[in-house]
Amino acid sequence: MIEITCNDRLGKKVRVKCNPDDTIGDLKKLIAAQTGTKHEKIVLKKWYTIYKDPIRLSDYEIHDGMNLELYYQ
Amino acid sequence: MGSSSGKKHKKDKKHSHRSRSRERQRATDDDVTLDLTDDSTSTRHRHHKHKKHKEHRHKHHKQKERERPSEVISLEESDSDSSDCVEVPIEQVVKAKVRDLSVKEREAPTREREPLVRDASGREVFVREREPSAREREPYAREREPSAREREPSAREREPSARERELSVRERETHLRDREPPSREREPSARERDHEITAPPPPQISKHLDYERERRREREIERERESRKRAIKERERMRGNSRSQSPIAPHQVHRQRSHSPKGDNSAGRKRGREREPGRERERVRSRSHSPIPENGAGDVLSIAETNKLRAKLGLKPLEVDAGPSKAAPSTSSDSQQDSKKTGADLSSYKDEWGEFLHKPADNIKEKKEAEKLREKLKQRKEKRFLEERLARIRTLGESDEETDNVSKWVDRNKRVVNEREEALRKAKELEELDEAFGVADIMEQEKQKARQLAYNDRNLKGLRVEHDMNDFGEGRTVILTLKDQDVLNEEDGDTLVNVNMLDDERYKKNVSNKKLNPLSYGYNVYEEQYDELGNPIERSILEKYNEDLEGKPQKRKNFVIGENVEEEREHRRKLLEIKTKLAGKRLETLEDTNLKLASDTFSVQELATFKKPKKKIKKLRQKLKAEDLEPIDELPGSSNLGSRSRSHRDANEDVSMTDEVKAEIKLENDDDDLERVLSKARKLKQKENLIQKSLPIDVASITHNVKPEPVDETSAAGEMVLGTADSNIVLNATAEFCRTLGDIPTYGMAGNRNEDSNDMMDFDRDEALDEHMDTNMDEPALSHGTWNSVNPDEVMQPADLDNLGDDVEERAILDEEPDVGAGVANALRLALSKGYLEKEEKNRPSNTKMAHLQAKNYSIEDKAAGEDDKIGRRDRFHAGPIMDFKDKETFKPNVKLDYIDDNGRILNLKEAFRYLSHKFHGKGPGKNKIEKRLKKMEQDGLMKTMSSTDTPLCTLTMLQQKQKETKTPYVVLSGSNKTTAGVSGASISKFK
Repeated sequence: MIEITCNDRLGKKVRVKCNPDDTIGDLKKLIAAQTGTKHEKIVLKKWYTIYKDPIRLSDYEIHDGMNLELYYQ
Repeated sequence: MGSSSGKKHKKDKKHSHRSRSRERQRATDDDVTLDLTDDSTSTRHRHHKHKKHKEHRHKHHKQKERERPSEVISLEESDSDSSDCVEVPIEQVVKAKVRDLSVKEREAPTREREPLVRDASGREVFVREREPSAREREPYAREREPSAREREPSAREREPSARERELSVRERETHLRDREPPSREREPSARERDHEITAPPPPQISKHLDYERERRREREIERERESRKRAIKERERMRGNSRSQSPIAPHQVHRQRSHSPKGDNSAGRKRGREREPGRERERVRSRSHSPIPENGAGDVLSIAETNKLRAKLGLKPLEVDAGPSKAAPSTSSDSQQDSKKTGADLSSYKDEWGEFLHKPADNIKEKKEAEKLREKLKQRKEKRFLEERLARIRTLGESDEETDNVSKWVDRNKRVVNEREEALRKAKELEELDEAFGVADIMEQEKQKARQLAYNDRNLKGLRVEHDMNDFGEGRTVILTLKDQDVLNEEDGDTLVNVNMLDDERYKKNVSNKKLNPLSYGYNVYEEQYDELGNPIERSILEKYNEDLEGKPQKRKNFVIGENVEEEREHRRKLLEIKTKLAGKRLETLEDTNLKLASDTFSVQELATFKKPKKKIKKLRQKLKAEDLEPIDELPGSSNLGSRSRSHRDANEDVSMTDEVKAEIKLENDDDDLERVLSKARKLKQKENLIQKSLPIDVASITHNVKPEPVDETSAAGEMVLGTADSNIVLNATAEFCRTLGDIPTYGMAGNRNEDSNDMMDFDRDEALDEHMDTNMDEPALSHGTWNSVNPDEVMQPADLDNLGDDVEERAILDEEPDVGAGVANALRLALSKGYLEKEEKNRPSNTKMAHLQAKNYSIEDKAAGEDDKIGRRDRFHAGPIMDFKDKETFKPNVKLDYIDDNGRILNLKEAFRYLSHKFHGKGPGKNKIEKRLKKMEQDGLMKTMSSTDTPLCTLTMLQQKQKETKTPYVVLSGSNKTTAGVSGASISKFK
């Protein structure tokens, strides 16, 4: 289990627990559950990399305690 | 966002408050100092206490849960607010109040955290400010939570601390309300309210999240409503109070007092510890690994909640036990530990992402150290062992009791001597006994036997030594061993060899091989053909390969041990003497060979030894070929009878045969059986004739035979001439060849061809078939022009080549000589005929004109026929490079290779090379070069056209002309250029 912090810098900051073998899509759903936005509207980014839905967190080398940028589309 | 701006606003406000409050506190500290000695200590206390408070808070949560079992409050929400708990300055731990407070806290949204982050003093101010109102507000709190209210009075009654607690709670409340500053109270609160109410409930959560969340929200909304009411009341109150802050002191006293009762504090703490819920612990544990600081986190769900959520989303639950706290973020620090872990840990080979984990590399340094240590230990062990052993050995210097003591030493020596004597005596006695019983004799005999049985030089007799005797020098010891041999090979017997000597021999042989001329393949013409004794050495062909091919070693010089070695040596010596005497002389026997007359032929005896190479019986082809007509049977008395079946006979067979058949057919009509018998008899007879006559091959005889034939035939007028010998025609390949050329159109019709006499034998057998065939053949036989037909008129034409040649020659010579004067055509014709000119078609050697030069008895085709038999038709063209190409003897081509450039100019060698080179490289010469060459060519052309008596511009002639015109011996040379055009005729301008 890893914990990831997602922050849109507009006031929403969530800490999400997930597995490393979850996909980004799953993570988005979890974030959606916690923030209350639709998961389709969520965009996860780290610098200029937009994380794609079907990729696993471990493949993106997203580790415990990492900060992801939360954007909305 | 509105909220954030609101926050900021509040913050500013509070800052101002804080500064004011500090001042105030300083003033009040002087006035009323009850328990507190120092401000700083108080703050310390505050902080200290705060922790306790936290525990208590949790405890109270629990209590509340117990009171209201339906309302399960998740601690996560309040947890995020824990930061503001830290900042809460002075708090007395009162259960009921704190319960209230915690509720309040919970109701406070996370956003409210930020404005609260400030030091305690600021808070104090608020407390002081709000003190009265807080008291007034108390009932509301009580109203809200009846149970808490119920407990409260009792607590107040019980102890003074209860009051304090109450106070603290009130402080709390005030503090909560403080966030809405009195002046602008309405706005931010409304805004907050708006936010909290209108904030869209998270859709996912509202759907999925558990019951308690919804409950909580309801509660919040309720509280919100209350707080709004409160705010309204407060405002009214504020209007009444007009912000007077005079009654500070008592509150402060209260506040200060709140610090003092430590016993209570500790008791609370204890209680808190007792009640510390398992859930709390679990939460702490589950969070503990998180790298995200607690206060820095945003919205967080617990593991259980997340799992629930995941279940709803269709995801597998979190892998909690594979806590990443061990491996994930702090791998760098753990890696060292991991490397030290044994295989049990490594057996998983997976890291926390389920990916392959490589076994950590061995630490070479450690390994080396271990090795060193082990070595050291081993050495020490050995040392100890050696020392022990040495310790047991007596050294020279050490005192020996026995040797030192003289008497003892003497005793011992004496004992030794005695023992020896005793042994001797005993042996003697035994011997005597043996002699008495005759054992000694037996022993002696056995000894002798054993000696006899022992292997000595006697046994060596008859053994072969595979070395030259001369290699063994006198007085030299050579160790011989049994040679490696095939075990089953009994006949060779044992042979002795010396390995070293064998090696030497091999070496010698190698050296001698190397000395050989490599070009002569080991064959030496000057090799001695006689050995040292003068006897001829027998040499087989290519004997040098014998050893390699057959694997048998060459005959080696050897000798047998014990076999008159001396005699042999003597014999050899004698032979050597003779040899030396005869040195330089060669013995030759006169009786070496009996003289014989040389003859071309083999004698009978020789023939017997001579082996004919077996002729391969060729499988006869079913297809007919022109080669079948070749005169195989030209050999007299050839025994190849009956091999050729009748069916092989071509339709183009000779005339006589067809005639025969015709006759047969005729006769058949009369009496089949009788005729058949008769004909058979006739044929046999004919055959006999053939055999007896031993047909000559030469053409001359044929011509003799042929000549009378037409006479016979004409006289007989179609009668059968089966019996005559003339019906036998020799088929000549040359004649056949000539016939095809068409120069002798009548030759093919001559019919003087040989019949295949062999066919007679099995004529009977395939008679029926022949009948059929020959009837078919009749038609073409009658038709004129084919070579099967018999034209009696043209039989007169001589078929002989000799005659033919003469005839042709005659014709050529006696041809009407064209009149040369009549025209060129005639002249040409004459030239052609005379051979001054050659027509290419007539250049062939097979031409009729050269026919007289043709071989009479031999033609190229004859040669080809033999080859064809060997090679076969198919192979003729596929023989490839094995057959060497035969040039025509007359063919002497005059080959001249000329290179011509694009202008048709013939190039010399250099130019040709340059031209080809340019073509090959695809790169021509440069512009200058081309120009230069063109110029040169031009000049060359000019040189060629130039007259030898004049300049290239013909100035001389011009000069002469001018002089003629002017009739002067001179010419005026004008230097002006302009005159050139006009006066060019008169003066010579200076061109060039």
